Amino acid sequence: MAHKQIISLFVHNHPGVLLRVTSLFTRRGFNIDSLTVSPAGTDGYSRMTIRIEGDDNAIEQFINQVMKIVDVKKAEALPQDSSVASELILIKVSTKTHNDNDILAVTSSYHASLVNIGENSLTFRASGTPDEIDTLVKELDRFGILEMARTGIAALENGDRCLNNNS
Amino acid sequence: MQLTGAEIIAECLLEQGVDTVFGYPGGAVLNIYDALYKYSDKITHILSAHEQGAAHAADGYARTTGKPGVVIATSGPGATNLVTGIATAYMDSIPMVAITGNVSTDLLARDSFQEVDITGITMPITKHNFIVKNVADLANVLRKAFKIAMSGRKGPVLVDIPKDVTGAKFDFEPVAPQPIINETSSEKADFESAAKAINNAKRPIIYMGGGVVSSDAEKQLVAFAEKIDCPVATSIMGLGGFPASHPLFMGTIGMHGGYETGMATADCDLMITVGARFSDRVAGDRNKFGENATIIQLDIDKAEINKNVKTDYNLIGDLKDTLQILTDTVEKSEHKDWIAKVEEWGKKSSVSETPMSDKYAHPYHIIDAVRELASDDDIIVTDVGQHQMWVSQKYRFEKPRTWCTSGGLGTMGYGLGAAVGSAVAHPDRKVVLFTGDGSFHMNLNELATVKSYNLPIIVVVMNNTVLGMVRQWQKLFYGNRFSQTDPHRQTDFVELAKAFGIDGMRIHNDSEVETVLKKAFENNAPVVVDCCISPDENVLPMIPPGKTVDDMITEME
Repeated sequence: MAHKQIISLFVHNHPGVLLRVTSLFTRRGFNIDSLTVSPAGTDGYSRMTIRIEGDDNAIEQFINQVMKIVDVKKAEALPQDSSVASELILIKVSTKTHNDNDILAVTSSYHASLVNIGENSLTFRASGTPDEIDTLVKELDRFGILEMARTGIAALENGDRCLNNNS
Repeated sequence: MQLTGAEIIAECLLEQGVDTVFGYPGGAVLNIYDALYKYSDKITHILSAHEQGAAHAADGYARTTGKPGVVIATSGPGATNLVTGIATAYMDSIPMVAITGNVSTDLLARDSFQEVDITGITMPITKHNFIVKNVADLANVLRKAFKIAMSGRKGPVLVDIPKDVTGAKFDFEPVAPQPIINETSSEKADFESAAKAINNAKRPIIYMGGGVVSSDAEKQLVAFAEKIDCPVATSIMGLGGFPASHPLFMGTIGMHGGYETGMATADCDLMITVGARFSDRVAGDRNKFGENATIIQLDIDKAEINKNVKTDYNLIGDLKDTLQILTDTVEKSEHKDWIAKVEEWGKKSSVSETPMSDKYAHPYHIIDAVRELASDDDIIVTDVGQHQMWVSQKYRFEKPRTWCTSGGLGTMGYGLGAAVGSAVAHPDRKVVLFTGDGSFHMNLNELATVKSYNLPIIVVVMNNTVLGMVRQWQKLFYGNRFSQTDPHRQTDFVELAKAFGIDGMRIHNDSEVETVLKKAFENNAPVVVDCCISPDENVLPMIPPGKTVDDMITEME
């Protein structure tokens, strides 16, 4: 059955490595809805966090295929029930049709902080699990979202285990 | 020792045991060719007529030797001309190192003359590729390139080197290459459960592929098949990996495979897949392929597991090792009744060998006659199309690495280049290229190369004057609307050969087959044999695309 799965990659940060990974998505027909790249904390390496949608077989195929890329050192599916995933959003909401207080009442319940006040807009910053961010967006939709930027998912496994152990 | 980048390339080739390279010079590789001039006593360079021919030659060299093929081309069009050759090697997991020149680093990214982003272009058709922007990195990148090409599932690697990098000087210290070790990642328990399934099987078959040839595992496969008394079907890529004269050999499997392999695939209770990948030309309907069977898959590439067909057990590692462990783990068994049944099916799969009229020769007859004249070590190369399928059905291959064909990509025009590479690698053997008039027209410019190096290749042109395979599909699936498959070409292949300085002969009809081919074999020089084939010969049997053996076509017209 198709579900969403977060996969962490530990990659050499050689030029072209992002292209090598992303071209695999189109070539092999994988559905990706989030991709984040950042330094891995180890010199010369980056960490990619990818959320893919598919059944178990598709996810296994993705990991096996991505592991064939020479610059990819590790690829693992994060266990759903014992990992932490977060995302940050900046979102600009229109104040033309609604009272500022109505909007603030929603955003405060999500611990979103007000980062900019425009003539006809308020801009908030919030972080949380991808689901929490999705819900926040849905709630703010009725006020009119002018624009938004999401960072994509950052995720780590719970406990002491690390992706780059013994690599 | 201070060397130029170009000399470092030559030294690294020697380090890897490379004594033969294929290629074509040009502006961005002038430094490399200057070094090749200096190293010409140690490295033989074969000059092709077109870079595509050089790439196919490196591929043919690799297929028939097991060593990585090396091809060199200049930047821009030189590099893009390699693309089809690299993709051909990639689809068939053939080890190749392609070295391309590029414009100098200060001219990169400026759309300079003959500049192209060849690493970007070849990313999806190489195992890996590199651009070397600093001469300090050059030697190690080349070493890595060879290692990647030859380890695990083999394949092509491209190294792009800007001109200034080949001119710059740097210290070079030779490093002996480390032996490549492919670990078996499956565990004892995996082998035991697979062995249990094999011990319990009543109607097993082995479906083997090119992996058997690639890992030189033919002896292990024979020992395994004999121990469990199991009939063997092969993909086209696997031909030669199991002797055709062996009583357990059934022949090819898939779209143009025999009736018995089709029936055995449908009826078996266990399928042991060895170094094969369930391509759509084998598993036409991937949901029905082997649906009544337990499937065990042995492969070096974990990503092949459950890619096309869902399997029950998998054993990951070099086939030489995994087959050996599996053979040691299984019980000896016999399947007399099953084999008798397969043999019964085999009797039903005969296809007509009578030519359509006395105006023509029959393709099977030509293939049989070549087989009579050739030794088991001689090398058979094909292009792509009907002639390729006829050869795959009919030619009895006894030894691995005697067969070059573009299996995965289906590259028309592959053959002559690959024949050049095979002939250069094996001056002591005969090389026969079976081609069609369609495929031959694509890259026959390499006849110039054949003549320059006086390579005694026998080119057998199955000339039916039409694009036969596409035409066959038009007959079957497009109501005989022969769109662009009858080109009305007037090429006289005998005269054409002569224009290249090569002997030309013609087989007009079935009665001339033996005598003309005998002459061609005795010639010991390049020769083109133009064989008149009926435009209406078909490749049969045929399982239509996406279908199963139940839909097998055994007759047409």
